[in-house]
Amino acid sequence: MRVSFKLLEDFGINVNRLNTTQRPQLRRHRDPSITNSFQTMISRSAVGRNAQLALRRQCCAKPAPLNRRGLAAVSTGSTSFSYESADVGGIKVASRDVAGLTTSLAVVVKAGSRYQPLPGLTVGLEGFAFKNTHRRSALRITRESELLGGQLLAYHTRESLVLEAKFLREDLPYFTELLGEVVSQTKYTDYEYHEEVEHNIKLSQQRLLADVSDLALNSAHGIAFHRGLGTPLYPTSSTPLSKYLNDETIHQFANEAYTKSNIAVVANGANQADLSKNVSEFFTGVKSSAIPISSPASKYYGGEERIAHGSGNSLVLAFPGSSSFTAGGSYKPEISVLAALLGGKSSIKWTPGFSLLAKAASSFPGASATTTHFSYSDAGLLTIQFTGSAQAIRGASIEAVKSLKSIAEGSISKEDFTKAVALARYRALEEGQSTDAGLVSTGAGLVHGGKPFQIDEVGKSVQGVTAEKLKSAAKALLEGKATVSAVGDLYVLPYGEELGLKRRNNPKLYISSQPTATHNGIRMESIRSHTDKTCKLNSYNKYLSVAARVVRRSLKDDKRLAAERRGESELRMAKWNNGKQGEHQNVAEANAASMAEAAGSPAS
Amino acid sequence: MSAPSLANAIIKRPWLAKMVKPIAAWYADAAGYRKLGLRADDLIPEESENVLLALKRLPQKEAYDRVFRLRRAFQCSLAHQLLPKEQQTKPEEDYPYLSPIIQQVEAEAKERDDWDAAVVQRK
Repeated sequence: MRVSFKLLEDFGINVNRLNTTQRPQLRRHRDPSITNSFQTMISRSAVGRNAQLALRRQCCAKPAPLNRRGLAAVSTGSTSFSYESADVGGIKVASRDVAGLTTSLAVVVKAGSRYQPLPGLTVGLEGFAFKNTHRRSALRITRESELLGGQLLAYHTRESLVLEAKFLREDLPYFTELLGEVVSQTKYTDYEYHEEVEHNIKLSQQRLLADVSDLALNSAHGIAFHRGLGTPLYPTSSTPLSKYLNDETIHQFANEAYTKSNIAVVANGANQADLSKNVSEFFTGVKSSAIPISSPASKYYGGEERIAHGSGNSLVLAFPGSSSFTAGGSYKPEISVLAALLGGKSSIKWTPGFSLLAKAASSFPGASATTTHFSYSDAGLLTIQFTGSAQAIRGASIEAVKSLKSIAEGSISKEDFTKAVALARYRALEEGQSTDAGLVSTGAGLVHGGKPFQIDEVGKSVQGVTAEKLKSAAKALLEGKATVSAVGDLYVLPYGEELGLKRRNNPKLYISSQPTATHNGIRMESIRSHTDKTCKLNSYNKYLSVAARVVRRSLKDDKRLAAERRGESELRMAKWNNGKQGEHQNVAEANAASMAEAAGSPAS
Repeated sequence: MSAPSLANAIIKRPWLAKMVKPIAAWYADAAGYRKLGLRADDLIPEESENVLLALKRLPQKEAYDRVFRLRRAFQCSLAHQLLPKEQQTKPEEDYPYLSPIIQQVEAEAKERDDWDAAVVQRK
């Protein structure tokens, strides 16, 4: 009878049944997989004999059973806020031994919505966390964790999928084993997908559809980064999920995602040596990956999207930001100071606060503004989000762009700047100190090959921001192409141009020809270029544009107007001479020049 | 769904199984459902939560085939006819496709009951 609850008894819990005539084993089990899983649970012979011994020894090592949950037993923690990291059998492990009675343990997987090969897979994988494994049922996992007073969470960000457990400090072995099991032995059955996971995904889709501010943020990410980071955090309601998502595709994605190089185990409130020992015992089932999960490097595009919505209004102005601290080189602390300076929400009661947006929004009651800096492993997005009535948003956003311009001109007071630096520093430190944010950012940093989140260094780098740096950062933002996403009453909500934001970036597409290439004149009349054999690329581009123009001119008037509008080309080229790149020229202008030249010389 | 059964006890003893098997085969054939093109698992009453859930978990193809067999059997029954010999269920086709799932569902329910009845004592 007690045998089947061995797992719990190891942790000092004795489970008896009310009705002693009832047999806890499932007698009529004929499905071999289930029977086997129960047998292994009972005897615990198949998986981890060593683990079992180690577990027992740990429990025996405790001085007295009464003291198990006493304060004295757990006062091993230090007060350091920096993470120690190590590599245990190919898995990255980081921990911070903060004094306290509880531990948060998380497996951070590089499988956020950015890395999903098909839409919705991350959400599906998140839904399958803590479901039936080959060793125990989902019900058993839930009930056992409840008995130990633990909490199990699964959530995802754009870059990471996080499986987290929070529990009493002495239960570390149990929860490390659980997380190891979830990662390597989940069954991914079809009926669980249909009965539990799919329904939740549909609900999350509906929630997203109803939430204007999330919709606007997702849309801003989509415009700013297109694919990769631009993938919505949850699939939008019109995503054809049934085409891409089922238990098999999720299982396949799990095999790719839960691999040694792709996960990091991060703990808060656990001894590094203990954690490493447990991870080396319980994460043995994790495979090493054949093909590492990857996503193309993020590139900022920018643009504008407007979505009509009946319930609420939201406007997001976004600019390229800085990657996260853990990414290393591309971290720009001045962006977070800029975010603090723009602000929006007051951090002090009964006053709008010093932040520029709060001041701007205070004259438009009904609008609220917040500035958030989303930082990722290789890019970032500084967003200013307005919510409230459409009319108020319109007024407040115009003011906000004005204040951003005033920062770029350097006309902010020294006092405001000092306050902003202090607030940005406080926020960075607080984020590092809080368990959840620290866990995720450290884990993400480790999995992406960076460094763990080191709180002291972040504080220092934020403090080192000067007013000059801030000014140039703001200037760069305004000069680049902004991202504008409006959701709600589109009749009132402003366009980016109405706010005075740049719509067009410098042309992005550069085509450089071969080093020895030279230009050749093109005869308009014959739509044929005198092709020099070494000059294929330039001439081909010219040839295309000439051909396109002739076709356009031969169209009827109404069609022609539309086509001419489409035909504005930003294509640029450069001439290479003796291995040196010449000046960039617009292809259209170069064509016009060569046409003029050709018109001057006699036709051949 | 399941009635008390000696099957497991018999299968455990190979000599006994060897003796009983021909009788069992004769009995299943004589029961007559195979002559209507049914399988033994088609005869399980649907009117219980566990069986309903198990039916939902059937793979799509199995579920479709099941409905087809049932309708064909109704038709035969109404017409007071048996299926032609080649369409009748062959013994090797008469495998349990539903009962393993029902057992799985029952096991889950049982486990839930067990946990609900568990009493926790802190050591």
